Order: sequence, then C-alpha cells, then structure tokens
Amino acid sequence: MLEYPLTNEERTIKDLIKEIGEKYILPKALEWDEKEIYDPLPIRALADADLFGIIVPEEYGGLGLGVRAMCIAVEWLSYYCAGVSTTYAASFLGAYPIILFGNEEQKRIYLPDIARGKKLCAFALTEPQAGSDAFAIKTQAIKNGDYYILNGVKQWITNGGIADIYVVIAMTDPTKGARGATAFIVEKGDPGFVVGKKEKKLGLRASVTTDLIFNECRIPKERVIAREGMGFMVALRTLDYARCGAGAQALGIGQFALEVSLRHARKRIQFGQPVYNFQAVSHTFAEMAMRLESARALVYQVASYIDSGAKDFSGASAMAKCYATDQAMWVCERAIQMMGGYGYMRDYPVQKLFRDAKCLQIYEGTNEIQKNVIARELAKFVKI
Amino acid sequence: MEKIIVCVKAVPDLRSVKVDPETHTLRRDSADLLLNPHDAPAIELAMRLKERLGVEVVVLTMGPPNASSVLRRVYSLGADRLILLSDRAFAGSDTLATSKVLAKALEKLSPFSLVLMGLKSIDGETAQVPPETAVLLGIPSVTNVRNISVENGVFILERVTDYGIEELEVAPPLVVSVTTKLDYIRPPSLKRLLKEREVEVTIWNAETLRLSQEEVGLRGSPTQVASVFEKTISSKGEIWEGPPEELSERLIELLRQKGFLKS
Amino acid sequence: MSEIIYAYGEFFDRKLHPGSLEILTPLRDIASALNKKVALLILSSSLEEVKNCEDIERADCDEVHLVVHESLHHVRDDLYGRVLAQIIRQKNPFGVFFPATHQGSSLAPRVAGELQVGLCAHVNGFTLKEGNLYMLRPTYGDNIIAELYSKSRPIMATLSLGAFSIREGKRAPRVVMIDLPKDFNWESKIRVRRAIKVKREPNRLSIAKVVVAGGLGLKTKENFQKLFELASLLEGEVGATRPVCHAGWVDEGRMIGVSGVSVRPKLYIGFGISGSIQHTVGIENSEFIVAVNIDKEAPLVKIANVALIADAGKVLDTLIKKLSRSSQSEL
Repeated sequence: MLEYPLTNEERTIKDLIKEIGEKYILPKALEWDEKEIYDPLPIRALADADLFGIIVPEEYGGLGLGVRAMCIAVEWLSYYCAGVSTTYAASFLGAYPIILFGNEEQKRIYLPDIARGKKLCAFALTEPQAGSDAFAIKTQAIKNGDYYILNGVKQWITNGGIADIYVVIAMTDPTKGARGATAFIVEKGDPGFVVGKKEKKLGLRASVTTDLIFNECRIPKERVIAREGMGFMVALRTLDYARCGAGAQALGIGQFALEVSLRHARKRIQFGQPVYNFQAVSHTFAEMAMRLESARALVYQVASYIDSGAKDFSGASAMAKCYATDQAMWVCERAIQMMGGYGYMRDYPVQKLFRDAKCLQIYEGTNEIQKNVIARELAKFVKI
Repeated sequence: MEKIIVCVKAVPDLRSVKVDPETHTLRRDSADLLLNPHDAPAIELAMRLKERLGVEVVVLTMGPPNASSVLRRVYSLGADRLILLSDRAFAGSDTLATSKVLAKALEKLSPFSLVLMGLKSIDGETAQVPPETAVLLGIPSVTNVRNISVENGVFILERVTDYGIEELEVAPPLVVSVTTKLDYIRPPSLKRLLKEREVEVTIWNAETLRLSQEEVGLRGSPTQVASVFEKTISSKGEIWEGPPEELSERLIELLRQKGFLKS
Repeated sequence: MSEIIYAYGEFFDRKLHPGSLEILTPLRDIASALNKKVALLILSSSLEEVKNCEDIERADCDEVHLVVHESLHHVRDDLYGRVLAQIIRQKNPFGVFFPATHQGSSLAPRVAGELQVGLCAHVNGFTLKEGNLYMLRPTYGDNIIAELYSKSRPIMATLSLGAFSIREGKRAPRVVMIDLPKDFNWESKIRVRRAIKVKREPNRLSIAKVVVAGGLGLKTKENFQKLFELASLLEGEVGATRPVCHAGWVDEGRMIGVSGVSVRPKLYIGFGISGSIQHTVGIENSEFIVAVNIDKEAPLVKIANVALIADAGKVLDTLIKKLSRSSQSEL
C-alpha cells in the first residue's frame, strides 16, 4: 500500500528480481516444495544477473551496495519462493564474514567468485547441543604447525553440500569460553570434510539443509578469518548484518500471502456476495495490511540505519527480524483462514507460505533470542 | 575466432500495433517495441560462446530510431557493441530488402566468424531472413540450431529437423538461426542494467551502407501488398445464453444428436 | 510448351512430406486457369529411393522433375539452394512454391536470395485477377488478410501447412530427369557428422476428428489443463491459441493457426478463444464449430455454428462433470 522511495539501484534490483521470479521461480515453486527438490536453475539465473554481487565491494567484482539493497532483493525473491531466497540469503550469511573480517588475500581469492555466483557460501555455527546457546559448540580446531585440525559436527546448515565455501566456527581454546572460538574458511573437497544427509523440513523445502562432519579435517592457517579467538565476534557481527535479510524474507512471504488471499476473498462468493464484503473478513485484511506495512517500515528503516554507518545496531536488527517474522507468521495464518478450505489445500500456495514463514521465527537466532538481544541493548539506554 | 554478430528484431508490442491505411504495412513508429522473443535463444548461444572463446559480440538491428531501446536490452544481456541500422528509406522492406541491408552491414563488420539470428520473428514469422542474408553474403546457413560448440576452429552445430537431429560441421563464417526454445536463457545482468543508459548505440543509415534508395524499403521489395481486407464474418450460428450448467447440458444433447457421443 | 509451376517435393525416407502434396492442390487449379503445368521438383541421392514411390505416383501434378546426385544425400542448405536455383535458371518457371516445413522455409529463402526475387510466406490462398496471381496471407495482430503480389519472376512463396487438402491425381505424373551442367559445383561447405533419425509422433492434432481448444479466456494454466480431460472424454485432441502457447500453458506443438497447424475436425470446440485471425484460419475447415465465450461480440462466436455465452472455465468444468458421469454409468 505504501510506496517507498527507491534508489535507481534498488528499483532496478526489484524489477530484475521480479523478472527472474516470474520466469524461473513462480512456475515451479509449488513443485519444488511438494517434491522437496533443490533446483539449481533459479540460482544460476540469480548468478548470471549479478545478484550475488550486491553486497560484495566493487573492487572484488561486486556492486558494493548495502543492506537495504540486499533486503529488497531478498524480499522480492521471497515473494516468489522463500526456499530459493533462503539459498540466496544463506550464501550472504557465509559471505559476510569474509567481506567484513577477511584479509586482503582472502578477499582476493574468494570474493570475485562469490560476486559472480560461481561459488555459493554457507555459514556453520549451530551444533546438535548448541543452538540458541551458541557458546556451547564442541567442534574443535587444534593448531598443528601450519594447519588446524577440525573435528566435530555442525547441524542444520543451509546450503550444505551445494555450497563451495563454508565459514565454520570452531573452538580453538575451550578454556577461554566466548573468546576461545575461531572462524575458518573450509572449502568443498577439503580432506576430512563431508556433508551429512539432507534434512526433511516442514517448509523452505526448495532449500538444502544438512549436517557438516569434520573428521581430522586439515585447514591451512591462512584460512583463519580475523584472528584466533575472534570466532564468536565474527559470527555475531555477521548475524547482526544478516538478520535484516530474514526480516526481508518475512515481508516477501507476507506480501504474497496477503495478495493471494485478498484476491480470493474478493472473488469467492458465499451467501450471494464476495466474502470480502463481510466485515469479519475485510477487517482481518485491514489488520494484515497494517502489520505487514509496519514490519516493512521497520526492516527498511533498520537496513538504512546500518547502511548509514551505525555501529551499534544489534538491537535494531534483532527487532527487524523478530517483529517482521512474527507478523509474517500471523499474516500467513490469517491468509489460510481467509481462504478456508482452499487455503488448506496443497494445490494453493498459502499453506506453503505458512510453513515457510514458520522457519523464519526459528532460524538465524530464534525470536526468543532476538528478544534477549533487544532487551540487553535496551538496558544501555537508561542509566540507573 | 573472429567476432560473433547477433541480428535481432524489435517487434511491435501486439497490444499497441496499428496498420497504416495507405501503405498497408505495420506502423512500427507508433507501437511500443520489444525484443523479438525468438531472438533470446540466439543471444544466449552467443553469450555461451563468448564465455568460452572470449570473442566480441556485436548486436545489430534494423529498425526505427526507438529500436535502440531494444539494443540496450541486449546490452544488459551481455552484448559488447550495439549497431542500429536506421533510415526512412528502409521502411517497408520485405525479406529480400531486409536481407540486403543486413548483408551490407555484416560486410562492413567483417571479418566475423558467426552470425546468429532467431529462427523467426514473432510478428512476420517468415524465418526467411537468416538464409536469405547468408546467400547474399555467399556463405552457408544452418537453420533451427539448438547447440553450438567449437572444435579446432570449426563450428559443430546441432540442428533440429522434422526428421531428427543432425550434427553438422561448418567452418566460419556462417549464418545460424537458433531454435525458439533452449534449456536455459540467462536474465539481464544487474551491473549492465545500471550502465544501460550510458551505452553508445552506433547508427548506420543507407548512405553509411552505400545502399541506394531503389535497393531498399518498399521500392526495393519485390513482394508488394496489393490490398488488405478485413475478414468478413457473418453470423451463421445459434447463440445460446444461460447458466453454464444448462448450456453444458444443451451442448451434450446436441453432441449426442450429431453423433459425437456414443450414447 | 506451357510454363511450369514448381512445387518443391520434400522427400525423405521414401516418402513425400504431406505438405508437398497439399500445395499441389491450389497450384493445379492455378495451372488449369492459366494454361500452365504443375511439376513436383524432387532432389534425391539415388533413383532407387524415388522409384515406385506411391506418394509420387498419386501426386496431383503433370510431371515430376527429378535431380539425382550422390551429393544430395543430406539436405545441406547451401548446395540444395544452388541446385534449385540452377534448375530455375534452366527451366524458367512461372512460380516456385514450397510447403512451409522447416526444410521448405530454410531452402526457399536461399533460392530467392540467390535469384534476387521476392518470396512470400504463410500463404494460405490464391486469387487470380485478369491473369495475375495474388497470394493471400493473414497479417499480424489484426483480423486482416493481405493480398500480395510479386514484381519478380518466378513468383515464390512458402505455403502454410494444412491450408489445403490433398487431392489424388487422376493418373501417375510423367517423370522427367533433370541434368545439371557438367561443370556444376556439387560441393557444400556443410559437413554432416551424423544424422539421428527421431521417430516423432505425427502431429495428431491436424488429423483429429474432435479438437477442443483453449484461449486466454480460460484464465489459468490449471483450467487449460482440464481440456485434456475433456479431450479424452470426447476422444479428441487439445489445441491452443498462440498467446496461450506463449504464456507457457502448453507446448507450441498444440498451436492452431497461422504459425501453428491447421485442423479440419468434424467437431471443434473453442473455450475462451476470442478468435483472432491468427487462430481462425487454422479452424476454417472444421465441420462443426462450437464457441464458448463470455463475450458475445467475439469473432469466434460469430463464425461458430453454436456459441455458448458463458464463462469458458465454468462450462468446461460442468461439461467434464456431466460427461464423466455419463461415461461411468455406461460401465
């Protein structure tokens, strides 16, 4: 309903994503979801369109655009399929550590291929016993001469197996706790690194989620991002940047759910008139629209805030992620209700949106953890 | 390998096209122009060859001045150089006259290794221009090709015929028209889209190409439109109105009477 | 001696393409009116291939002109074009016509270009006025037929597939062998590495007795898919309009009209098809036309024998429901 002033770049991105969505995604999205298949074709299209280069600096072959541009791309991609946008956004999650903390050499080696979409990235923090409690990770990296030897298992890693570049957080010194972890670049095919089985998911079924298994995996010391001991710093800062992307996904999903159900409600005749004529229905749509627009305003505003050079934005990006994903979940649930039986049938897209939206409240930090972050940051604003 | 040239056509948007009442040709000047959708596979094959061979890709179109917007679209798909063949004298060209203009421009651009075109345009649908241009240049043509590779400086083409698939070997230069469908056609590049407006379009007219007014356009076209007439439609049948249920039943009854249904 | 009108005889695997037989029908009529003769022009690599070919014996033409040379084994467009142009120079025919097959549409422009003569496309009818031959073709976008003529000789055109019906000849045509000059260059710049024969299902649409076709008025791809159900209930085939094919609802092989196939069924039902000339030229020869359209003014409604003014998707739904019920009760 609201029109946001977009820059030339942002408008071009939006139009381009729409072109790709209509042509390469929309006709197949329900099938990918139903059969739980990852199709590399839309990813190839996004790569050919330079869309993997949005956040990569120009000197490394990217476009050097900010978080807001990334959010607009992710938002509209999610409008067509949040599974595809998960593959796309998770690649940014793996690229951010190199962009933000990588040394010149690492940037030169990895970023040009990332920008061109020739190599997909993944970000590996979560482990079986360390989800919200990220500091509890057990994967170890023991220094041995010019190498580190990695041992352990990472769980629920988006793009596992299809990515070429993995940023893996492992404990180099468990005795130091939060300062004992280090971020490593692991490449597909590194000895001792194997990809586990593909998980079966409720939603986001066009994306791939697997375990990563490290068994005496030898990684050269040049692949350490930043310095030893900075692993959690790298991880948390990366999540601060990327969280807006999860919020943007929520906007795209919510937008599509609203449009599909609204179209239905205006056409569906019951009791001799479109069901939209009934206030219980139309007021629900009014509420859906308000929630969606307020979420969009927040996500765009936080993205602009980050792009403006703000340093302290953990709380802001947590708000954008938590609020937008909660609204999307609510909007999708209502969209099903507004469509009645049609909403529940797998021939129609709304049930997919509902299942996709659920994951957004969980991954990249559960919404409960987001509230912890917000509360922690909030406390700084009042001196007692 | 020498450069690759893709000849594309700007076609009028179906919804906005008008026929000139005097010349009986389509009034392209008034219509919005689009890239002929059947040209997209030709551009895609050119880009795949460019990736492998590192050759320059030049894109050529004959059309009104506003056809440059279509050329810019091809720039966003990866073309290196854009040339618009535009002159009032070209208007109303049939396929022979069009092929003459294209052949002259291609001569001017030679040496080239390959000329790619779509199988046909979505408006004329004649499919004649690629072979006709080739014969005017005195080079071979292969139509309806779905894949091109290069071995020892020779093109290997996969051509789809009504009877099967042919694998052909042709030394450059040649003209190829590409099938209307490919497994994948790349979208435009964001980087190029952002630069699209600054890209230069070279314009060549009849004089640049050393073509006389008699050789091209309506005058240079051996096929002429004598007249056009609207297909007159006289209502001959019955018109049934009513709710779908009832109409379906009447239709089934009628089909049964006419013997289209068994019982 | 009367002038020749040539029809290109597309010959493969001891068979003539039906398109080559179709175009003989109007050419025969033109020849009779203008006192000319019709000859089928066939290029082949061996006489054996052509001998005793039933298709050729039944062809409705005066003569069959044969060029036989081992280099003609594969259809290489540069060589075939040159051979055809050479024969035309030798025989000076009144007209040369090709069926609008892939091969015909590839060779005709090579010949026309070499001879620098005009070439029309998608011709689906002829008119004769004061001894002059005019060719008819539907034009793009509007319901308009263009009447074309050629300033150059021979008159050349590719003729739409399915636009004419095949007529059997009264007697077998006379076979004439054509010799090319001794110094004729039989070389081609195209080398055939391999040719893989693919046995394609013949397009059953053009010979179907019942055709159910859909247009954009069906609104969604899902609705369009339902036509296949109806087609199987009526033992027919599914056809489509051009926009529907371009929208990706169905394969282009199902396209009826100028750029697709022409159909001549006993029953044609068009759902949500307004009836632009692109499409209607392909159904003109249907025996009984039913149109289902919400718009009473749609051209297809006017040419239909029966027009149902209603939402095409809804009628399609109810038809399927009722027909499948009645077919079940039969069991």
